[in-house]
Amino acid sequence: MKRRTWLLSALGATGALVVGWGVLPARSRLGSGALMLPTEGDVALNGWIKIAADGGIILAMPRSEMGQGVHTGLAMLVAEELDVPLGRVKLEQAGYDAIYGNVSMILGSLPFHPLDSEGGHKPTKVKVGEWIVGKIARELGINATGGSSTIADAWEPLRGAAATARASLLGAAAAQWKVPVAELTVQDGVVHHASGQSAHYGTFAKAAAGSTPKDVLPKDRTAWTLIGKPAPRTDIPAKINGSARFGIDVRLPGMLFAAVRQSPLLGGTPGAVDAKAALAMPGVDQLVMLESMGGSTAGFAVVAKSTWHARQAADAVQVQWQQRAQGALDTQRIQAEMQAQLKAEKGFTFYSKGDADKAEAAATRRVEASYSAPYLAHATMEPMNCTAQVKDGTVEVWVPTQAPGMARAIAAKVAGVDADKVTLHVTLLGGGFGRRLDVDYVAQAVRVAMACGGKPVQLVWSREEDTTHDFYRPMHVANLTAAIDATGAVDSLRIKSAGDAISPRWMERGLPALAGPIDMPDKTASEGLFDLPYGFANQHIAHVATRMGVPVGYWRSVGHSHNAFFSESFIDELAFETKQDPFAFRAAMLAAAPRYLAVLQLAADKAQWGSALPAGHARGIALHESFGSIVAEVAEVSLVDGKPRVHRVVCAVDCGTVINPNTVAQQMEGAVIFGLTAALYGKIDIQDGVVQQSNFPSYPMVKLAEAPVVETWIVPSTRAPGGVGEPGVPPIAPAVSNALFALTGKRQRALPLA
Amino acid sequence: MELNINGKAVTIDADPNMPLLWVLRDTLNMTGTKFGCGVAACGACTVHIDGEAVRSCVMPLAAVEGKNIQTIESLGTVDQPHALQEAWIAEQVPQCGYCQSGMLMAAAALLERKPKPTDADIDEAMTNICRCGTYQRVRAAIHRAAGTTTATATATTGAAA
Repeated sequence: MKRRTWLLSALGATGALVVGWGVLPARSRLGSGALMLPTEGDVALNGWIKIAADGGIILAMPRSEMGQGVHTGLAMLVAEELDVPLGRVKLEQAGYDAIYGNVSMILGSLPFHPLDSEGGHKPTKVKVGEWIVGKIARELGINATGGSSTIADAWEPLRGAAATARASLLGAAAAQWKVPVAELTVQDGVVHHASGQSAHYGTFAKAAAGSTPKDVLPKDRTAWTLIGKPAPRTDIPAKINGSARFGIDVRLPGMLFAAVRQSPLLGGTPGAVDAKAALAMPGVDQLVMLESMGGSTAGFAVVAKSTWHARQAADAVQVQWQQRAQGALDTQRIQAEMQAQLKAEKGFTFYSKGDADKAEAAATRRVEASYSAPYLAHATMEPMNCTAQVKDGTVEVWVPTQAPGMARAIAAKVAGVDADKVTLHVTLLGGGFGRRLDVDYVAQAVRVAMACGGKPVQLVWSREEDTTHDFYRPMHVANLTAAIDATGAVDSLRIKSAGDAISPRWMERGLPALAGPIDMPDKTASEGLFDLPYGFANQHIAHVATRMGVPVGYWRSVGHSHNAFFSESFIDELAFETKQDPFAFRAAMLAAAPRYLAVLQLAADKAQWGSALPAGHARGIALHESFGSIVAEVAEVSLVDGKPRVHRVVCAVDCGTVINPNTVAQQMEGAVIFGLTAALYGKIDIQDGVVQQSNFPSYPMVKLAEAPVVETWIVPSTRAPGGVGEPGVPPIAPAVSNALFALTGKRQRALPLA
Repeated sequence: MELNINGKAVTIDADPNMPLLWVLRDTLNMTGTKFGCGVAACGACTVHIDGEAVRSCVMPLAAVEGKNIQTIESLGTVDQPHALQEAWIAEQVPQCGYCQSGMLMAAAALLERKPKPTDADIDEAMTNICRCGTYQRVRAAIHRAAGTTTATATATTGAAA
């Protein structure tokens, strides 16, 4: 068959399949009760909700708690619909059915301009894209916690599941008491009837299990008693007395401990190994060589009776480390190569509007600037770790992960068993920030456990391993050009950026079955550049996807984390070049984006933008949308001993409907600190294959004494919930940089800021 | 070797060079005290030795023998929480929570030494790293427990009117 004929028939067949599958309704995410764990005395009403004998609620929890408050937030959605106190909702780890897949996270990868849908009606291309991708995501059912999507994703299906459970329970109560269901009320999980009869949910659970009411709607927002009010986090009591269990706290009878050493030459391999002295040390069990797994750098692990014994011995192992076959990684060389590719290649156009060429040709003046951002490590406080036991053809894993399905898949692959032979326990996560979307350390733990004769083993990375073997936030560079016409108006914006795309690399190492033969354009590379709200009549936004070889991964707010620095600093430059106030310039450019303008205005009002400040202080402002939420931040800075000091950050956020304002404030505060550490200090350098930063003294963090006061102001909204965990990060670097420019007159275009 | 941990005598057979952190975590399964860096830079492993906040990841057993060791597990009980634990709940301090054992132990030692700390005292004593950025709530919670107030502007949170 000729290639073209083959392609056409393949396309035809695929098309027929897509059309045939397309007319089927999207997969329901309600699920049957059989998907939950069968536990004595409890009755499952659907894939999400189980009723305990005492009337308590058990929620199938598919998302990981890494500080962002989702265990509390999802429990609030359920408690609201079922009218039970928040404390009566207990959690059970969800299984692997597709109903638990994160559809919103996948939808978030579509590269549509947010303003296209801002007016309330979506253009056809957006509807079609979301329809197809949404259907695929429901089928794939990738259960992961990322993309600030937990609440957005659970909003409809989880409230629907809880409302359906409630309808079943009330239906059963009405049948039992022989009264109309409309006459029943529920308070604190107790069903009441005016006749005086009352009983808790547990009474009706068995009878309710038989019925599945159709199309039950969740409560109207006017009836909410929990959603939108600050609720104390349910995970806090255990986190203040040492009883909370993170992955690193798993303790099992007879457990061994493993220390890992990966090649200090990133991507390299171990050559000759001499472990004689190490193996002779007290408490040492064995040496296990580790090949590259899940994107890791090859190395070895030493197993011993404690982490300390294992580490002492690992230090004593002599290895002739070899550079990677493609040559040593070096960030200086990479940056030069990236600049060369940025110049030489056209890249993929993520957004185009009007005619930027024409506008530039007609302009009286151009403003041009080049920006850059370095590689960054995640530095979760709990270093990478995983506990595993391989015994009698089964694998049991305890792991702080953002991606349990991927963790289970790689555990099965390494152990050579089917996925259903793997039992995986998701613990609390001591920070995630995207690092725990990778599962390299899970593969390592299983590999080590396979050598431990059925004993459980806990593998813990040192801080040095964690910093030097991360999947780094990629380095990016960008050239930005604006054209200013004779009236002084800025009427075109051109951005060309370059840097590694994360998603194809992550798919290759974590979801190889879904990774394509070629890289598709990755939205994360250009997010924060192609999707700006400002009314430039002409825009051309393109990205050159590079492949520099440094392992890259998702880092809290992903592409927005550096691109907001590029775009919002450049906007500030344009305000300066056209002699306008940075707030007023932005506001004038937001005529077609009222929601953005309202957030900007709120931040400016609360920060008293334009009012007098102490001598030596200045303000900067930045506005950025990410993960469906808009955040504006005003930073007040000064120089202390010649170094930037941020005193106060006023943060305004429109994240749609708010579930727990307490969590929103926590996340904005945390995002500011996380982003500030990156803005002031964050930088990973690689020289001759070796990552130069290794522990907190060389990869420093903002600490309490230099932490600004963060104020959070929330724009009331009835829109569906947007993200909260990440959107506070992107604006802080440009807000601080813009403030430093206001203070010093010196524009900084590279991170970290000096 | 005999150790005094949270008021109890504990006899263990261990290398005197072994850091206290790993004895607590891996030998005694007392996992409330966390490992963060191993070089006394982050404070996640903070415990009290004779009432002083100490980073246990660099504290060899030989140095703490016969001394009074207190860990997060001894900071109040569910029935009788430490004032800081109550304040931590009131201010909703923790996010991921991993650094919080160390934060609380550092704060408790501060209050023992300075029952009415100023912001400067808190700045000086609280050098623990928190990647979730709970710092301003840590400060507020210490002031709350001590009955003092912060000199810096108090954070405001609210919905726009």
